[in-house]
Amino acid sequence: MTATLTEASRESSPGTARPRAKRGRAGTRPRTFYLFVGPWIAGFLLLTVFPLGYAFWMSLTNTDGLSPNWSYVGIDNYVRVFQDQQTIASLGRTMIFMLATVPTGVAAGLAMAVMLNRDFRGRALFRALFYLPAVVPGVAAALTFKIIFDKNAGFANAAIGAAGGEPVSWLADPYVRMVLIFMILWGVGGSMIVSLAALQDVPRELLEAAKVDGAGPVHSFFRITLPLLSPIIFFQVVTGVIGSLQVFVPSLLLAPVNGAAAVTAVPEGNYLFMVHVYAEYFAKSHFGYASALLWVLFIFVLLITAIVFKIGNRAVFYGGVDPSERKD
Amino acid sequence: MRGSLGTPLSRRTLMRGSALGAAAAAGAGALSACAPSAGGGGGGSNTLTVMAPENEIDIKAAEQALGLKIKRIEVDTTKLTAMLASGTAPDLVRGLGAVETPYIVARDLALPLDDYFASSELLKEDDIDPINDVWRYDGSVQGQGPRYGLAKDYSQDAMFWYNTALLDAAGVAYPSDTEPVTFDQWLDMGKELTQKDGDTTTVYGLSAGGLGLFISLANMTATAGGSLFAEDLATVDFSSPEAQKALSWYLEYARARVGFSPVEPNADGWDWPPYQTSRLAMSWSGYWFGGAIAAEAALAETSRLAPAPTMGSERISACFGATGYWIPKASKNHDNAWKLFEWFMGGQPAKDRAVGGWGMPSLLSLRADLPTGTPAQEQALAVQEAEADYFKVLSFSPYVKVEALDAVLNQYLPDAINGDATAASLGDTLQTDMNALLAEGKELVK
Repeated sequence: MTATLTEASRESSPGTARPRAKRGRAGTRPRTFYLFVGPWIAGFLLLTVFPLGYAFWMSLTNTDGLSPNWSYVGIDNYVRVFQDQQTIASLGRTMIFMLATVPTGVAAGLAMAVMLNRDFRGRALFRALFYLPAVVPGVAAALTFKIIFDKNAGFANAAIGAAGGEPVSWLADPYVRMVLIFMILWGVGGSMIVSLAALQDVPRELLEAAKVDGAGPVHSFFRITLPLLSPIIFFQVVTGVIGSLQVFVPSLLLAPVNGAAAVTAVPEGNYLFMVHVYAEYFAKSHFGYASALLWVLFIFVLLITAIVFKIGNRAVFYGGVDPSERKD
Repeated sequence: MRGSLGTPLSRRTLMRGSALGAAAAAGAGALSACAPSAGGGGGGSNTLTVMAPENEIDIKAAEQALGLKIKRIEVDTTKLTAMLASGTAPDLVRGLGAVETPYIVARDLALPLDDYFASSELLKEDDIDPINDVWRYDGSVQGQGPRYGLAKDYSQDAMFWYNTALLDAAGVAYPSDTEPVTFDQWLDMGKELTQKDGDTTTVYGLSAGGLGLFISLANMTATAGGSLFAEDLATVDFSSPEAQKALSWYLEYARARVGFSPVEPNADGWDWPPYQTSRLAMSWSGYWFGGAIAAEAALAETSRLAPAPTMGSERISACFGATGYWIPKASKNHDNAWKLFEWFMGGQPAKDRAVGGWGMPSLLSLRADLPTGTPAQEQALAVQEAEADYFKVLSFSPYVKVEALDAVLNQYLPDAINGDATAASLGDTLQTDMNALLAEGKELVK
């Protein structure tokens, strides 16, 4: 017994066991870390860096992806990007689409979250109902929207007709862009859920203290709740901006032609930048030019994101700290 | 962390390793294209990769009949391009013979199948319907030269179906079963058949979208005695009187709002739903449409097929699709791909398709299997058989995909229809853009 205790105490003494344990940590921690991140890095290189590099290489050629006689064209494709009226128009349209959908979507999601954060009977039901459109598959939603907005048999024109109005050709220019925006905003439940989760993290004692100090609900919302939600709102804005610049499938689904040929029939109002890229790739077989378009979009997204971050740093209360008082 | 040789695995080593791994994986894909396959192009393994829509080829039946293992992948231009470019071509690919054959042949993608046809017991040269000439291309003319594919079935797509109930209701006389109407007469019929309730259209008179805008215009021009493509297929000409006539007709049709167009979109995406629900009186669809009609007993009784309209001197009844299959040259499994091709085109599946009535069979011997059980089916087949005499291959360009030309049309047509553009001004714009595309394409295959 004595011997055992002595051995145990020797093993646990600072001079023997600790250095071994320290070596173990030093040895295993990086190994575990690298084992976990290794597959991601390999995937990142294979699925992101390699395609980016390949696309860049293609952007310097006039290849159509299949013909043997392609050649290098230098930066011609990049010069063409800034001369192509269709490219510039589609980029402008995409910016307007972004400005129309991102602020509206985030604001609507927040407003719904604030409403559904209150105590009332049936709250869970309404939360589920408002979130439901966000989980409806995009294809099903688009088909439903096409039926609703059909000029002759759709519900939208039936309602307009009942109110004495004229039927509107919703799925053609210039109205079809409104249908697209409406379809995107229909999925605002996703933003609502994120804001709702953040709202539930706002400390009650702060709100109660403000109430004791005489602040009304509006004042409390703008002075306490909104600043504390600002990191989450900022996150939604950043992801929303990046996502809206790359919107593609909803435009195709609203086109009057089904299948792969849809890209050739997207009405001008919904002819966003990524639709243009896809048409250049797979309808016109301009693989080189379309790759240049993608690189320009990539840089454009980086620039827009950097601008959003710059603005965000002046407005976001990270850790509840007023950005004007932050020392960084 | 230590590697197997006892050296510490640093961050830099890991990054280098990952990069090498990625490069190796990427390189392996590329290199695999260069490596000889197990069986070479002619032989190949027992596993076939087929790009086909679901349910078109009965995979289980094919595997049992041929002793092959077949993997189906969805028809997807993006995927096909990637597979062809990376040297991992599918073994059998679905395509539209009428508009794709020159394109795939000019890029040396398709395998000429003449040797296989010559030795086939199921697909004999004298049994092949002449419509399959759209799958031939000799480098300058479509319809001549080696065969590169075969239609699974076909229709003469410029013919049209009409609903007699709607024609009776509007007091419009039926078109002849043997003599074609002119496009102007057809448009007049469409105007008379269109019914409106205030500003809402309850019945569209006719749908002239066909299988695509460009091929529809090319067909109209051809029936007027002209051609949209120049003889070398390297340019289009919208300034000819025939092409101008076709463009004028389309503008008048679209402005009259008697049918679907870029400014009057069809929410259903194709003609069947409005035709089925009697919201469309005449559909510019070929024999295949009868397959859908046959399933609706009441509609079948009031549906009839009519010859292709003409715009002028020449009676032509073209095929815009001839949907079928081709074997990529880069396939490493040619022989087995041919086995499946032959079985699908000439075996039991071909007989089953003929019985279904969803298109004319590619083999003349299978015509006897076409459905004639109802007066409507009899009428449709009689009109179709008489129409066969007027089939002509309309050569498509090897330099551009039809989608590219449709994209140009869709870009300019809405403003032209809604505005006061003339056929001449529209034609100039279309010609400039389309010829630029054709010139770029030509540069790549010269």
